[in-house]
Amino acid sequence: MEGEMLKGHLDMIVLAALAAGPAHGYAVIERIRRNSGQAFDLPEGTIYPALHRLEQAALLSSRWVTAESGRRRRVYALTRRGERALAERRAVWQQFSDAIGGLLQGARPRRRPA
Amino acid sequence: MIPAYLDALASALSFDPSLSRRVRQEVEDHLLDAVAADPARDRREAERQAVARFGEPHAIAAEFTRVAAARQARSLAAAIVVMVFVVFIAMKARVAWYAATAWTMAEDMRPAGGIVLLIDRYAFWTSVLLAIAGFAYMVGRRIPPALHRARDRYFRHASLLCAIATAALVVSVISDGLLTAFQLRGAQWSTQSLIPIFSMALEVACVGVLGWQIRAITRKAACARALENRCSL
Repeated sequence: MEGEMLKGHLDMIVLAALAAGPAHGYAVIERIRRNSGQAFDLPEGTIYPALHRLEQAALLSSRWVTAESGRRRRVYALTRRGERALAERRAVWQQFSDAIGGLLQGARPRRRPA
Repeated sequence: MIPAYLDALASALSFDPSLSRRVRQEVEDHLLDAVAADPARDRREAERQAVARFGEPHAIAAEFTRVAAARQARSLAAAIVVMVFVVFIAMKARVAWYAATAWTMAEDMRPAGGIVLLIDRYAFWTSVLLAIAGFAYMVGRRIPPALHRARDRYFRHASLLCAIATAALVVSVISDGLLTAFQLRGAQWSTQSLIPIFSMALEVACVGVLGWQIRAITRKAACARALENRCSL
């Protein structure tokens, strides 16, 4: 999928990935890849500024946890506000998708009469 | 390879040590996970691939810098409102003190004092209106999504409102300084003089805090631009 198109919807994609539960950055990327059927393959580094931005907007919260390996990792979770924002964006996206779908179906080339 | 990559990223974010440390730790954790998940037997090759998939360090640092600048711009909008209020209290306290102690301005200073007072009033109320407008703009509107031109426009408008509000407040504080100097001119130095001097020092400190914040935001914005230019070269 086009990188620019993906970047325009990055915040919604990250929020949707965290809807399944709290996760650290690497797990968020894995979820995005898996849930999109490998279609979304962004440069992995673009996810982290998005996570920080969404945390700044109070849509996510984060905390350090110590993994079994002993490494400290930052785990992100949706806040109430984040859940509401995701629900709103999902509704807007559904509307947009239905409208584009309708347009594209209507624009299918008609077969010429014999 | 991973330490060199982390060094490049952390050094690009060195303007904010706590952000730099946090990003370094998060990215290190990510890259080690990516290497561990790589089926390649050659660790060096796995590290190379993990770093390549993560992206260009300066492009990522530029995006972090923009996020940091945006956060600081929002806190600046709130700080301006608070500082305008503190300056207002300091001004009112000084005027009340002059009234309570029946302290009047020297006769020869009154014409100049009248002009400065007029400038002070207009500058102060301009800063009040613009500070409220800037705060309402930043808090009342949703920040446009990342990487959209609307986001840059949003922060440009907000920064302009904050900058003009601060400039008007600076003019007001300078005018207050002149009025205080006129008032103190020729007066006998006593402990009574400390009240106007202290209230003026408070006003100057408020403006200093705002100036320091604006300088930090400007530095971050310049840093983000430099990192972006470095990527596009």
